[in-house]
Amino acid sequence: MRVGSRPHKLRPTVGSRQLTVAAGVVGLLFLFPIGYLLVRTVTLGSDLGNTLFSSTTARPLVNSLLIASSTAALSAVVGTTLALLVARTDLPGRSIWRWALALPLVIPSFVGATAVLAAFGPGGLIELVPRIQGFWGALAILTLLTYPYVYLPVLARLSTTASSLEEAARLLGDSSWQAVRKVVLPQARGSIVAGTLLVFLYGLSDFGAVSLMRFDTITRAIFSAQLSDRATSLTLGLVLALVALLVAAVDRSSAGRRPPVTTVGSGQLHYALGWATGPALGFTALVVGLGLATPLLVFIVWVVRGSSTIGVGYSGLGDSLGFLVEPTLSSAGAAALAAAAAVIITLPVAYASVRRRSWVSESAGTAVTSVFALPGLVVAIALAFWAIRAPGLMGAFYQTLPLLVLGYVLHFGAQALGPSQAGIAGIPKRFDEAARTLGVGARRRFLTIELPLMAPGILAGAGLVLLSTLKELPATLILAPIGFETLATRIWNAAEDGFFAEVGITALVLVVLSAVLTWPLLIRRGISRVGRDHRGGPECGHRRGVGDAESR
Amino acid sequence: MRTRASVTVVAALALLVSACGSSDQSITIYSGRTENLIGPLLEDFTEETGIGVAVKYGSSAELALLISEEGDRSPADVFISQSPGAVGFLVEAGLLRPLESGVLDLVSQKFRNARGLWVGLSGRVRVLVYNREMVDPASLPGSIFDLTEPQYEGQVGVAPANGSFQDFVTAMREVHGDEVTLDWLEGLEANGAQTYVNNTAIVQAVGRGQVRYGLVNHYYNFRARAEDPSLPSENYFFPNGDIGSLVIATAAGVLDSSDDSDLANEFVEYMLGESAQMFYSQETLEYPLASGVQPSSALPALDTLNAATYDFDRLGGGLERTKELIDASGLEAP
Repeated sequence: MRVGSRPHKLRPTVGSRQLTVAAGVVGLLFLFPIGYLLVRTVTLGSDLGNTLFSSTTARPLVNSLLIASSTAALSAVVGTTLALLVARTDLPGRSIWRWALALPLVIPSFVGATAVLAAFGPGGLIELVPRIQGFWGALAILTLLTYPYVYLPVLARLSTTASSLEEAARLLGDSSWQAVRKVVLPQARGSIVAGTLLVFLYGLSDFGAVSLMRFDTITRAIFSAQLSDRATSLTLGLVLALVALLVAAVDRSSAGRRPPVTTVGSGQLHYALGWATGPALGFTALVVGLGLATPLLVFIVWVVRGSSTIGVGYSGLGDSLGFLVEPTLSSAGAAALAAAAAVIITLPVAYASVRRRSWVSESAGTAVTSVFALPGLVVAIALAFWAIRAPGLMGAFYQTLPLLVLGYVLHFGAQALGPSQAGIAGIPKRFDEAARTLGVGARRRFLTIELPLMAPGILAGAGLVLLSTLKELPATLILAPIGFETLATRIWNAAEDGFFAEVGITALVLVVLSAVLTWPLLIRRGISRVGRDHRGGPECGHRRGVGDAESR
Repeated sequence: MRTRASVTVVAALALLVSACGSSDQSITIYSGRTENLIGPLLEDFTEETGIGVAVKYGSSAELALLISEEGDRSPADVFISQSPGAVGFLVEAGLLRPLESGVLDLVSQKFRNARGLWVGLSGRVRVLVYNREMVDPASLPGSIFDLTEPQYEGQVGVAPANGSFQDFVTAMREVHGDEVTLDWLEGLEANGAQTYVNNTAIVQAVGRGQVRYGLVNHYYNFRARAEDPSLPSENYFFPNGDIGSLVIATAAGVLDSSDDSDLANEFVEYMLGESAQMFYSQETLEYPLASGVQPSSALPALDTLNAATYDFDRLGGGLERTKELIDASGLEAP
């Protein structure tokens, strides 16, 4: 075991100057949205200071911070607990839970909130007292929709940590719970923090759920003034962006002061739940029941009930589903492109901030992270503003698929960055040093040692971007090429017209599509992992769980 | 390999983009009206005139916002607004150009902009739907303001989150002021108004007798009755130009930045023609707004209603302020 090597000794396997430049360029790309807000705030001559310190800004801003931090804290607990249960215990049915637990992320928040209201609101399937609304309603709905931001990266992390330290802890007399608390959780801390930050930023950006729950946040104020008082709306957007930059910067600087203990290997320990099996199963079922099964049930009820609408649109069971084929393909294609582009574009930043930490890499990381706190509509309008004014051939990309994908990447890049970074930080340098000693070239070391080891983190990030893109609405409506329809835009269309049967069937197809696309990222990885161990490979020496720990 | 592939993609995209640009007879429409409710008309238009139509669908407010940020480079030639505030926003921003007089003349002055910047295509009328088995038609209220009186306690259904209800409240604010509007909303809440998710749910509730009255758009009762003719629900139009029976128009305007304003005007003219107007009359049961086109025989004629209209352009983007007032009144969507 090697402890205490200092960051500057961890030489990156690719050229460090190119890496820093690449990270810097990516960082600049992510500054376009805030650049738009700045430019427009200035050209509209609005008074930032005045807006910032007025009481009409203060209350929604405090509410935003309140709902975002409460949701983040609750999601951290829920997401981490579920990941632990699924990855590290003998929870019955965990191969199904593992997968089902990721899916609530794909339900668009406005549809999810409507469905939960339809189920538990007055006149719903079950009437709940007290009514779901305000702060507590928003907290419940946002947590159910966003805990996967914590669950997915933590699950990925827990699936790669080695069992050696835990075995040592157990040998030294620690109970299962003590081993989890002292050894397992500290190793997942980077992923927990990264996921929690995503939930916090999402909480700041959300409009759909807070608006349905009538909780007054800064995003509501941004939308409220969007046409009537453009200057105020843009200034509030700028305030939100500045808060996000601040939070992201604080997160980055504190990340440097908490070097993670990392081990990597396969053959994870699974702890027996014993008497806790019942409660654990109940908790997991409750989350899946509320976050996934309830909306699904409501969608099914809508479809079965059919609609008493006019002679257009889908009217219920028996109608042809042909109209959904093209939107399904478009959704899948756009989401896959966005997921791939997001991990590739943010990889230099992730890699640089772990291996070549500098003010450039950290500023870039801060920029990438902050965009996620902006409402999708603001990001989309900003990108439209720049793209339509871009010179020459660049301008020709306006309302084309590449620009839409860029919009997704800018908005969701943070979701790829966090898990990738956690994945890279989790790679012990020992392998690389061993290979270096054996005279293996930098490129080959990166491809054969680091890439496979960081793959779970990168795939978790890709999975998050994929699921988020599938449900994304405002950027799709604004930036998509004309005639480009996704399942999310169809759901919106039908919801606008009050065609609930069509909302229901389209939302069901969206969930099924997400399940199919998430499968290779979450389930199959477990299978291929076993295969790789048998084939042997760089981690082959650690198959029996001989871990490697070091502090960065 | 990957480089070559991406070069091919870029080249293909460039071709695609230039191909779109060079097509001579086509216009671009930003439509706040959804595809279900306008798509068939657009296909007919292309078939009849040979003019291609590219449509971007979205919420009226967001599309208006997009047009204002695109500025004079906007690809849009025509803007169709489902909500009155959005077209008013573009009028205020000076981004619309007057329509040709031949087009304007197709619509009565009540349903077009005073400067000719937009025309109404179709109209939704706000009504009071009531249960005829529980309510004596002779006792129906003379004004929507009466609904806060004791005899209506617990008997009025509203859908506070519904877009048309909010458009109506916005109009009430413009005509009667925020204070009167808030008083009325608070009065409804204090009088135990029942809230529903949407208009359809209100009509069903009135039909079942759960509440005696409901505030909805006129066509929901016709749709419900088409499905279940035994429903005892009836529409009531408030008399004497009461704001309660407001006509909310779907509006169309041509952008000042359009390079094809002739084609754009031709399109708006087509939308006001007999066949397009019949689509509203027969398929969506809305009121056709072109003069001389009759609504569905199931509907009373618009000019016999003396329904309220108001100046859309005074609205600006007041919809969100309306939502704040509805929130403040305590009326809560279920």
